[in-house]
Amino acid sequence: MREPPQLINRYKWYEILGIYAGIAVFLTFVLAPFVEGFLVSLKPLSQLFSSPYRFIPENGSFEAYYTMWDHVPGFARYIVNSFVISGAATVIVLILVVPAAYAFARFEFRGAGLLLGAFLAVNMFSGAVLLIPLFRLMRSLGVLNTYFAMIVPGVAFLIPSAIWLLRTYMMRIPRELDEAAFVDGASHFYTLRRVILPIAKPGIVVVAITTFIGAYAQQFIYALTFNSKTEYAPLPVGLFAYFGRQEVVWNELMAAAFVGIAPAMIVIFFLQRYLVSGLTAGAVKQ
Amino acid sequence: MGQLYLNKVQKFYGDFEVIKGVQLDVKDGEFIVFVGPSGCGKSTLLRMIAGLDATSGGDIVIDGIRVNDLPPVKRGIAMVFQSYALYPHMSVFENIAFPLRVEKMAEDKIKAKVEHAARILHLEQRLEQKPGMLSGGQRQRVAIGRAIVREPKIFLFDEPLSNLDAALRADMRIELAKLHRQLKATMIYVTHDQVEAMTMADRIVVLNGGHIAQCGAPLELYHKPANLFVAGFIGNPKMNMLPVTCKGTSAEGVLIDYQGQTATLPVDGTRAKAGETLTLGIRPEHLLLDTGDLNVTVVPTVIERLGAQTVAYASLDGKAENFCAMLPGTIGIRPEQPLPLGIKAADCHLFDADGQAFERRVSLTDIDLNLLGTTAA
Ligand SMILES: Nc1ncnc2c1ncn2[C@@H]1O[C@H](COP(=O)(O)OP(=O)(O)OP(=O)(O)O)[C@@H](O)[C@H]1O
Ligand SMILES: [Mg+2]
Repeated sequence: MREPPQLINRYKWYEILGIYAGIAVFLTFVLAPFVEGFLVSLKPLSQLFSSPYRFIPENGSFEAYYTMWDHVPGFARYIVNSFVISGAATVIVLILVVPAAYAFARFEFRGAGLLLGAFLAVNMFSGAVLLIPLFRLMRSLGVLNTYFAMIVPGVAFLIPSAIWLLRTYMMRIPRELDEAAFVDGASHFYTLRRVILPIAKPGIVVVAITTFIGAYAQQFIYALTFNSKTEYAPLPVGLFAYFGRQEVVWNELMAAAFVGIAPAMIVIFFLQRYLVSGLTAGAVKQ
Repeated sequence: MGQLYLNKVQKFYGDFEVIKGVQLDVKDGEFIVFVGPSGCGKSTLLRMIAGLDATSGGDIVIDGIRVNDLPPVKRGIAMVFQSYALYPHMSVFENIAFPLRVEKMAEDKIKAKVEHAARILHLEQRLEQKPGMLSGGQRQRVAIGRAIVREPKIFLFDEPLSNLDAALRADMRIELAKLHRQLKATMIYVTHDQVEAMTMADRIVVLNGGHIAQCGAPLELYHKPANLFVAGFIGNPKMNMLPVTCKGTSAEGVLIDYQGQTATLPVDGTRAKAGETLTLGIRPEHLLLDTGDLNVTVVPTVIERLGAQTVAYASLDGKAENFCAMLPGTIGIRPEQPLPLGIKAADCHLFDADGQAFERRVSLTDIDLNLLGTTAA
């Protein structure tokens, strides 16, 4: 049986039309580049510069998806690198941020407000602004051209927003739960592990996803500056390999971009299963 | 066992003194209820006993040991929160087992203890469910179960029933009273529900603005309130207050004058001085339809018919202050028609200018027997 929509959800036909028109406009802007990119990846290179330009490929094929591996043999390695860098950054961020967010959400200590403010301020600089000082630092530590150089600055700049995000989530968990656990003799770490972590799981997943995406997007700058070894290069840098001396192999470049995103999509798809809401149902009477 | 002694316990929030030197001695196995208006510090006092809030001064002594600096578990207390505070991701079994798991107790012992608690609380069928699937009353029982398994010396309850509806609250009240008899543990119970306080308590502690206004058995507070605050707080509807003048004292009591009528109230009036203005208190349920030792005529403005009783709200001498009378259910009175009422001197309470009561000459054992007689009839 289909339930009639609630009164508050009832719209006039022209309202519905307006809503969908709005959605269509924004979706077009978001999706058009993807669609075009995908279509380009299907076309043979010769067709790309034909005029009049056609969106729909004439005899499209997935050939570029095969040739790209031969053209740039290290491509699989770049994907793995990207993955390692982002994955490691995410894991490190989570390990550091979960206890920190709990502390900021629950304990009153001197300087808490100041620290949180400082985190916001750090967020306003992107790592890019600080590239030169960071480069000098890396050089004097002798860690240029390592994974370390690409992971650690990323982690440092991802921590503040992750703490803010998770702290807000944890503050919504009723404080009585901590108190009840404390009365029952649980230590802070026990409470964090047995009570807070399971309830905060959706928040932690959100933090993991945003951190992973952030790391994926950020690694480009760090990789470009702190790394010159091809075998450590992540995907965005690796894509440059399709920029040949004379011509850019557009169709393979697009195909490679799509293949490169795929693993990240799979991770996110896997994580979002944990994004169930309503985990606190029944904890306290609201 | 479960003795608790509070010695001049104080609590400051900044410069604001919330608990002003509370002195209380709780015997093992007693059921103590804290009542008082909102914001008087009931929860704060309970949380200090629990060890959730630090004390600013004084001692909390449990079984002869000063526990001010001990964490809750070491104090041997268990607390049930108003909001249940159940762990939503754990089954009922795991919720109840939580304190035992913290203690790292053996699995088979945990199972035995949880099942025992579940039997007492009628939760056997629910052990595998999550708290989100339970009703309010069941959730509260799970919270109580979590307290029971630890076998604490002292149970602390902060308004445990206030989130339940009236019918469920009445049921849970009876179950808690049973539980107290079964476990024979000391219980300290915070509520602002008078019925809960009167029916469950061995002794009621009335708190007012951070100090104890009076501490005593329920009927003692009802029949011998020590001051105006307790007189007004215990009893529903509230006690009526009339200004009277003291005309002198004698062996029988205090001779008072109310608008030209005089009567001798049987109270201990050694403190009273002739010419003083005193306050006479008379409970709505003690007003008579006959003439009494004192007589007043009121004009009811609102009449509530509850079936068993009729409650008439009236203004006295055209003043705004409501004068309230609780009369038989079948009485034929109408709004705006003058209603003569009588007051028996023996039913009166008398308070001095500072609001302190002159002790009434009623023996509490008599009252109890009398009450037994009337309920049996
Ligand atoms: N963390 C705090 N900081 C400052 N003042 C506080 C704090 N907690 C409580 N108070 C004050 O202490 C007083 C007593 O609070 P408490 O919660 O003990 O009242 P209560 O008797 O339990 O009231 P209620 O019946 O509404 O639960 C209140 O006036 C409150 O404003
Ligand atoms: Mg309270």
